[in-house]
Amino acid sequence: MRSSPGSRGLLIILLFSMSLFAKSQESTLIAVGNQSGAPAAMKLSELRAVLMGEKQRWKNGNRIIIALMKTNTSVGKTTSARIYEMSGDELNKFWLALVFQGKAQPPYFFNSTSDLENFVAQNPGAIGILDKPITDHEIKAIMIDGQKTF
Amino acid sequence: MVINLKTRIWLTVFSIVLLFTFFTLFYFPAQQRKLLIKNYNTEVQNLANSVALAVNIAITDQNYNNLGSTIKLVKDDPRLQFVSMVQYDTVWSNDHRNFQVKKMIFKTFPENEHPEPDVQSNNSIIVKRGAFNTPVISGVILLAFTTKEINESQRKIRFASLIVSGIVLFIGILLGLLLAKKISIPILALRDAAKRVGNGDLTQRVNNRSGDEIGELANAFNTMVDDLSLARKELHETNVSLSSANQTLNNTLGELKSTQTQLIQSEKMASLGELTAGIAHEIQNPLNFVNNFSEVNKELIDEIEHELNAGNKEGVISIIRDLKKNEEKIIQHGKRADAIVKGMLQHSRSTSGVKELTDINVLANEYTRLSYHGLRAKDKTFNAVIQTDFDKTIQKINIVPQDMGRVLLNLLTNAFYSVNQKKKHHEKGYEPTVSVSTKKIYDKIEIRIKDNGMGIQHKVLGKIYQPFFTTKPPGQGTGLGLSISYDIIKAHAGEIKVETKEGEFAEFIILLPYN
Repeated sequence: MRSSPGSRGLLIILLFSMSLFAKSQESTLIAVGNQSGAPAAMKLSELRAVLMGEKQRWKNGNRIIIALMKTNTSVGKTTSARIYEMSGDELNKFWLALVFQGKAQPPYFFNSTSDLENFVAQNPGAIGILDKPITDHEIKAIMIDGQKTF
Repeated sequence: MVINLKTRIWLTVFSIVLLFTFFTLFYFPAQQRKLLIKNYNTEVQNLANSVALAVNIAITDQNYNNLGSTIKLVKDDPRLQFVSMVQYDTVWSNDHRNFQVKKMIFKTFPENEHPEPDVQSNNSIIVKRGAFNTPVISGVILLAFTTKEINESQRKIRFASLIVSGIVLFIGILLGLLLAKKISIPILALRDAAKRVGNGDLTQRVNNRSGDEIGELANAFNTMVDDLSLARKELHETNVSLSSANQTLNNTLGELKSTQTQLIQSEKMASLGELTAGIAHEIQNPLNFVNNFSEVNKELIDEIEHELNAGNKEGVISIIRDLKKNEEKIIQHGKRADAIVKGMLQHSRSTSGVKELTDINVLANEYTRLSYHGLRAKDKTFNAVIQTDFDKTIQKINIVPQDMGRVLLNLLTNAFYSVNQKKKHHEKGYEPTVSVSTKKIYDKIEIRIKDNGMGIQHKVLGKIYQPFFTTKPPGQGTGLGLSISYDIIKAHAGEIKVETKEGEFAEFIILLPYN
């Protein structure tokens, strides 16, 4: 089947639009935290340090509990790429190494954002990454570099 | 070297205790170590498997909680030497035809440990592997635990065993000594008592009131000594009684011997009496000749004196010639009498016991005549036919003539006595006959003396050679004739037997070796 020049142009536009949409999806990450422990604002570098297990406790003494979406989810993939700058497998190996050596508390991975939100809400010191505005008002959004999304 | 009972018991107990100590000190700790190591291996393997499973779950489900808790459990274990994650990577060749599995230590805790991927267990560590396989990473968990705890446990066990062994050894030695003492003392007392009893002291008793086997042994020993004492007393009494009886028997034996000597002497004298009568008859003839010729010579001397007075010289010479003939007759018969007397003397002499070559025919003939005339001297009415049949081919044989003459005299006297008795009690027409014969049979000489007298009763046949057995009325026989004859024949290595039929005949058969 041979396509006409018009339809080919339409396809290109569609693909570009999807790419733009995906790009917009990746870029909308939100850091959330339990009302107790996590600060209201952080720098991105601080967030990275926390999420990579380099920091174990918040300033108020609460233990940092990391909550992430599984790497097979789009949020998980975005999180791996944007924050950890790793693929999903690399992230797994990264955490495997840390946990195996006992250097960090293992993160909790979730299949749905609602589960993640619930978890963060129920565990003081918990911090998580989402891709949409929070629905659970028991948790707070953490400003990263002065912005709600990053 | 003799080991006494006490030492033997002690050694036995000590050996058992020593053996037990050996087991406690070496065998049991070794077994315990084996068990510990086995359990330890299992435990470490289970932990390695748990870590590997937790890794699988962590990667596949992105659930690290299990791994975190498991690894914490491992890390908190003081026995941990290291735990490593070995990553297996498949490395393909450039043409993608061959590959090799590359083992690489991914992570290790603690970080200062740097084990090789192929590290194995040794004396100081136990290494176990748990495999994991995920889409992200595959490999094994190397879990190494030190054996210090096992060694420490074993050391503690050995120490405890040493203490226990020492206590057991001490108790065993004490027990052995007590046991040896408890067993040996009564037994040694029994031994000493038995020795004294053996030496004749029957007053010994063992005082042991225990109800065990040794007590029973002591009771049995005491009973035995009681019985022995009683038996000895009875034996002593019996000995005294026997000694008395023996003395009586000795006295009786002495008397019997004396009586036997007297009887033998009587037998000898009776035999001599028989002979004397025969000899007297034998001597009577020559004496008659001597007396008669002496009377004639006396008359002839008177005639010589008368003729000398008459001056008849020729008559004197004729009478002297007759006188000389008569003297020769006197000398001849005198010599005969002399020979008879010498024979009598020879018979009356005690036997020399020396064998000499003897003409058995002459001896048999001589004693036949002597015994016959001996009987006739006592009973003038007795007559018997004497039949002789001597084998002239028999040479002189080596015998003691006096002894063999006595045998013949005994048998012949019995034969003549038997026919005489029968003649006295039987009908007329009975002709008493005694036959004597000799015969050479191969290497033996057979002498048969047969009479047709009373014969011998069957019931007494077995007794006739017994000393003092006689069928003659009291005073007429000593009962030693056949007994002595039997002994003499046996002394000549011969045989004597009898064939008889009661009321018809009796025949004694003597067999003597022919030189």
